[in-house]
Amino acid sequence: MSSILDARPASGQADVVDAVMRPFRRPSARFWLAIAMLAVVVGVGIGAWVYQLREGMGVAGYTDSSFWSIYIADVVAVIGVSYGGAVVSAILLLTGASWRAPLVRMSEGAALVTVIVGALFVIPHLGRPDRLLGMITSANVASPVFWDMMAIVTYTFATLVFFLLPLVPDTAILLSARPEELGRGRRLLFHVISRGWVGSAHQRRVLHSAMVIVAIVIIPLAVSVHSVLAWAFALVSRPGWHESIWAPYFVIAALYSGVALVILVIAGFRRGYHLEAFIGRQHFVRLGYIMVALGAVYVYLTLADLLPSAYVGEAGPTEIIYGMLQGAVAGWFWLFLVAGTILPIVLIALPWTRNIWGVVIAAVLVVIGMWIKRVIMIVETSGYDTLAKSFDELFHFTWVSIAVTLGGVAAIPLMLMLLFRVVPLMSVAEVQEVLAEADDTAAEPSHPGAQSRGRAVGAAGAVVLLMLTLGALGVTEAQPAYAASEGVAATDPAADATVAVTAAEDGPSITVTATVTSGGSPVEGALVNFYESTTMFAPGDNEVPLGAVQTDSSGSAVVTYVAATTGPRTVSASYRPTILGDPVVGTAELEVTESVSTYAPPPTSTLEGAGKTLTTATFGLVIIVFLILIAQVVRVRRACRPASDGTPEQALTS
Amino acid sequence: MTSPSGSGTREDWPVDLGLTPAEEELDMSRRNLLRGLGLAGIAAAAGTLGLISYRDEAEAATVAGAGGASGEEHQWCRVVDLRACKGERKCVSACQVRHGLSPDQTWMRTLSWHDEAGNEFFMPVMCQMCQDPPCLKVCPVSATTKSDQGVILVDQDICIGSRACMAACPYEARYFNWSEPTPTHKMPAPSPNTPEFPSNQLGTVGKCVLCADRIPYSSDLPACVEACPRGAHFIGDLVTDVAVNGQSTVRLSTFLREGNAVRFKEELGTNPRCYYIPGNGQPVGGPLVGVK
Repeated sequence: MSSILDARPASGQADVVDAVMRPFRRPSARFWLAIAMLAVVVGVGIGAWVYQLREGMGVAGYTDSSFWSIYIADVVAVIGVSYGGAVVSAILLLTGASWRAPLVRMSEGAALVTVIVGALFVIPHLGRPDRLLGMITSANVASPVFWDMMAIVTYTFATLVFFLLPLVPDTAILLSARPEELGRGRRLLFHVISRGWVGSAHQRRVLHSAMVIVAIVIIPLAVSVHSVLAWAFALVSRPGWHESIWAPYFVIAALYSGVALVILVIAGFRRGYHLEAFIGRQHFVRLGYIMVALGAVYVYLTLADLLPSAYVGEAGPTEIIYGMLQGAVAGWFWLFLVAGTILPIVLIALPWTRNIWGVVIAAVLVVIGMWIKRVIMIVETSGYDTLAKSFDELFHFTWVSIAVTLGGVAAIPLMLMLLFRVVPLMSVAEVQEVLAEADDTAAEPSHPGAQSRGRAVGAAGAVVLLMLTLGALGVTEAQPAYAASEGVAATDPAADATVAVTAAEDGPSITVTATVTSGGSPVEGALVNFYESTTMFAPGDNEVPLGAVQTDSSGSAVVTYVAATTGPRTVSASYRPTILGDPVVGTAELEVTESVSTYAPPPTSTLEGAGKTLTTATFGLVIIVFLILIAQVVRVRRACRPASDGTPEQALTS
Repeated sequence: MTSPSGSGTREDWPVDLGLTPAEEELDMSRRNLLRGLGLAGIAAAAGTLGLISYRDEAEAATVAGAGGASGEEHQWCRVVDLRACKGERKCVSACQVRHGLSPDQTWMRTLSWHDEAGNEFFMPVMCQMCQDPPCLKVCPVSATTKSDQGVILVDQDICIGSRACMAACPYEARYFNWSEPTPTHKMPAPSPNTPEFPSNQLGTVGKCVLCADRIPYSSDLPACVEACPRGAHFIGDLVTDVAVNGQSTVRLSTFLREGNAVRFKEELGTNPRCYYIPGNGQPVGGPLVGVK
């Protein structure tokens, strides 16, 4: 494939510099209007969050049967779209696809902004965000949420490095080409970033190698972020969430929606800053191809997720799948499937719609459809009561949760527009490089790109409910056998009956013997109840039954038991001479010296050691990743150093 | 708003301390750079060890107020005799009164369902005091702890309200304070607000605490046990092998054996400390089909 860049070596170079300077000039009234509108939406979102903070999460539509819903779906969806930056920049860098050159800065910027916004969506998700520091001060490393945080922090850092490193040559070029147009603030910033960069072969080699290493690191990091996000769900035993496929399912979902976001961001800036000379129909079509390929994989994984559970027919997963196909969330599910996967594929498959408009509309559908899919996946399982084995009331949207969600969504274009007021929105050095190599394929004239902002998030009606009705109270009068009451009335007891008790300890077992006599002669066939005193559960003497034994011809009954505790106690034997009369009780004191408790602690899991090893190894891995990333920054800085000796000002690129 | 408690005694996050010198030295000589990186690595490694020990702390946290008794002396459990339960739900309301819960918060809830023959069954379900609690594992801030006497508790002053525990609990035993508990639903004063006797706070998770403030239950039994007129609820101690329902005392091991006691969702490996005695012909583990 040849580059579609308009290759005019002499003027083309000027064009790139000119193009990236456009956002630095005095913005149009339309720009400020857009900023103001987005800022209002963000402000309303923050206001709604403050209201939620005061009133509790109930105002956002949360209940105990929808304990996780829209905000965690926002986290997953927004961090998900940040993966697009990793695809376009990192994967295309590693595969040497030069057409990526004008797209990388915007897609990396979008990745950076969305990962920050996505991570911030955790705050409205939490009941007590004021205690967020507890994630560090009293961290539990066995928790998937802890590793969500670790993965997001590491990925954000890598994205930042990936975003900043290519700025070094770009800012140097702009400083030398148009120093007067930059303005004081940008000039100062660009000096700091590019200090020492002269564009020597050595510097370029070091930068390229550092970028390749960061690209190699960033891909598994992105995979880890979306996997750990999936594991926050998959590591609990709820139907629909507890699926081994969820980690790769989330990764593909992130890639799919991420490419869609890159399309939207590029379409927006291409139109806003007239970048048609650099970004043409082919860019959109190629991104569209990548998107639909991922979309097809996502449809496949959806089937692979649902089929095994549906086929086996366990109660929980069956209810969840029924809910998607025909039940409570069926409308949303089919909307996702048709609008979020089939329509985008058709739009890009058909030659008539395979143009910028078609690709942008497909991307809008994908972004909204994938958000809906995340909401379905989370809300439905959350509302399923695993005890009653039926659905409780599902989540319903309120103005608070919609306002917070829209506020976060509006923050993405807002932050991007402001970001590219500060840093160049295309990679000048890379585009120049590609231009220099480019063959002379003319850029195709194209339709104006669709305005991509203002993604409407439908707040349409409440979901269908299934009510749990509790059965009527039944009243029967049976009493449990052991609750039989003591004798009520005392009528003519056999006053001369006696019970003599002896107790002997033999190792851990204790033999209690009761001899029942009446009028001096042994009573045969008398039922004797044996008890042992305990200090448990009562301040006085509480008696634990040991069993009932009938006396033999010598009038004695014997019970043997193993004491659970050592110490002094009273053993007693009681006998009722008449059914309604008072029992005759004999006791014996005993000092138990040996005991065997029936209690044994549960066995430890065979995988417990593996878990700790995994945790430690993962910590090691995180440290290594950070060191690698820092080392790349250091390498590039060092390559810049010889040219700027004697300027000891502090400068950081990260 | 309060700050997270317990942060004073713990080490500060050392990675930040390590990274800052590394960043400051980026422009110095290579040796300094490498030294900075090395420091960062060492600090991060130290942080690793520190964090891993947090987990152990969470596991080993002990419940105060048990008279200094250790886990060797008591291992609390409960027994629910389903033969006796008639679905009066007196346990449910007694629990709500004692812990100042709003009507939708049922730390103790009684499932009820009919079989095909029209027989009605009841099953009270509450925190099963698992010995391998899924909720404890997933809590990102170690707010859920297991005492050495086997009681699972939530520290209302640490909980950040992530609700990961609600997702993880297979017994649906946890409830969130979605709105500010109204004054009538606040704890009977004075509320000590300990994990054993928590006061309800906006934005945190609560659940059955087995009335752990009454441990070792020598004068008062858990509210649900005292409330049941039929003696369906037992509080027991596995070590001394005794259980009581407020009406009678049983030898726990014998009672469980003779009653063919089972545990709920045994297959999940949670090792619950709640035993159910079936006997009315009901399927153990709740309804087999959905309760609509």
